[in-house]
Amino acid sequence: MSSRMKRIYEWFDRRFNISPLIAEAQRSVNFALPSSLTRQNRSKIFWFGYPFYYAGSIVAFLAILQGITGLLLAFHYVPSAVGDPGTPTQAYVSVQNIMKFIPLGALIRGIHQWGANLLVAALVIHAFWAFFRSPYRIGREISWLFGVISLGLALAYSFSGYLLPWDQLGYWAATISVQIMRSIPVLGDLIAQILLGGTSLSALTLTRMYFYHVSLLPVIAIILVGAHIVLVVLQGVSEPEEAWKPPLSQSQTGKQAGPLFGPFIPHQIAPVLILSLVTLGIVLLLGAYAVQMPGDPANKFLTPQFIAPEWYFLWAYGLLKWVGWAYEAVHFVPPATVFGVDLLSAKVVGILMAAVMFLVLLLMPVIDRGTEVRVLRRPIKTAVGVWGIGLLSALTLYALNEILSASLSVPIDTMNFFLGSIVIMAPLAVAVPFYVILSRHAKETSAQEG
Amino acid sequence: MTEKSAGVEKKPRVRIDRRRFVQTVVSLGIVGTFVSFLSLLMSLLPSAGAGEEQGEVDNVFKYGPEKGTWYSDKYGTDVKLEDFDQVGKGASVLWRRRIPAILIRVDESKLRGATATSGLIALASACTHLCCISTWHLDRPNQDVLFCRCHDGVFDPYNIVKDVMLNGTEYLGAKVIAGPPPRAAPIIPIEITDGKVAGVVGDLGLYDYCG
Repeated sequence: MSSRMKRIYEWFDRRFNISPLIAEAQRSVNFALPSSLTRQNRSKIFWFGYPFYYAGSIVAFLAILQGITGLLLAFHYVPSAVGDPGTPTQAYVSVQNIMKFIPLGALIRGIHQWGANLLVAALVIHAFWAFFRSPYRIGREISWLFGVISLGLALAYSFSGYLLPWDQLGYWAATISVQIMRSIPVLGDLIAQILLGGTSLSALTLTRMYFYHVSLLPVIAIILVGAHIVLVVLQGVSEPEEAWKPPLSQSQTGKQAGPLFGPFIPHQIAPVLILSLVTLGIVLLLGAYAVQMPGDPANKFLTPQFIAPEWYFLWAYGLLKWVGWAYEAVHFVPPATVFGVDLLSAKVVGILMAAVMFLVLLLMPVIDRGTEVRVLRRPIKTAVGVWGIGLLSALTLYALNEILSASLSVPIDTMNFFLGSIVIMAPLAVAVPFYVILSRHAKETSAQEG
Repeated sequence: MTEKSAGVEKKPRVRIDRRRFVQTVVSLGIVGTFVSFLSLLMSLLPSAGAGEEQGEVDNVFKYGPEKGTWYSDKYGTDVKLEDFDQVGKGASVLWRRRIPAILIRVDESKLRGATATSGLIALASACTHLCCISTWHLDRPNQDVLFCRCHDGVFDPYNIVKDVMLNGTEYLGAKVIAGPPPRAAPIIPIEITDGKVAGVVGDLGLYDYCG
């Protein structure tokens, strides 16, 4: 440290007593952690797993980018949806102004828009990767819990952000979501009123959504995601037990595959920085050349012809459609009301299924208490995870039934039957072989290990 | 807890010293204050009457905003009986500025469960599923059905049936023949005055199922 730097440091230290804090932080980040198994001994096979392994850091980088671009957009956006249906509101006009007149406005909004999409994509990968890697063993439950809640936060972020331009697509996507929310048994209307200022969308809803998007959610996100990341830095990326031992290959061949143990900085941070740069490049390109203008101004008396939510909500949309189709296929007519609610209607069944999925994720540390974390040694869990991916993909496909039927000129009933069967068959068709092969593999390896 | 002089059997008394007493009372006070703040959350509920109709509202249907239809250039104007000159002609309309509906000239001999007024029937077009606005002959041009674009709900305007709203109100509506809608699309009674088509005000709360 140069003498000038030293003087500045001392100035701060005298006033804020920072040296113990810095010493502790240095100790933490210098603690030698195992580098990932991927890098240790499987790099030749699993090189493609690298971006997946670090997907969480891409999320973190994009979150920072969203913060910066969002801050800039907030200088120009006007959260007012007062006006006649179908006419441009101030919110709509301000977004158009950002796109047309504000210097670099279109680029900033483009980055924000694509950043949000890529963030959710990276987050989905991060979540699935984490699910398979079982990183919630004793001592890491809190990190997992905060991670799952943050997944919900990200969806709340994109939901509220999607509505802000107050255009047709955002409006109707939100309307459907509100009505789904209202169908939550007993509490639905109350929740809708508290969260959205009414049981249908109005100017009040936009104000609340804006508040969540720029004020409430950031505070919660910074706390939760901050804790999530600090825990990773302190505890290291979750690795199977064997990662803490030197790999066999090293002692056998005498060849060093790379640094096996190393502090967070630079060993873990280096790939993070590289991937962040790559991500930045992609977001800049997409933001500059593929930014989406707002559609027609919101009109509550006119639903646009092709209405679909953002791609990451398509599975839920498909689920609603599919339950309806399945009822019809087996000639089941749900009773109008059970206990005073539409308990068996497609939307309530759909919302309950989604809630169960989220709860299962949240409670994974309690549900899965096994010590085995290796993906290939856990036939049931891995098969369930693969089934889940298959189901989400198939439901996403089902959500596109109208568009597929129109573009392939297949009658809609045929298309529904085809896609509806895929929703049932495809996840099983992938998961069952996975289970059979993995359980055989697990038996063989455990026999080998004696 | 202390016991007084040995030998004399006395009930042990719980004794709280002054410090402990003050600690307890102050902590309870702090917690209680913050708990009482929770009542402020009441303010999140919307005030009664916030979304009510304002100003004079007449009962004549107005043409809706669909583009590329025969009534596109009549948007917002009064609906006239003479416009519906042939069976199967229908339009999306707006009633009392807030209730979207579909108005159809029907073949009266085929209509079951209700009678048409001068050949017309009106059905609330907010889908009973998730409140998207159903269309007539736009997405399903060859089928005489109300079709909801969001989740493919289909209502049959020729088959009027009795149904019950979630709040218990009984009503007549177009039967659901496909898709997820849980109940029929409510009918709006019609009257014709001076050649204009108007809705008859009954239980307006019936049409508030979309909030």
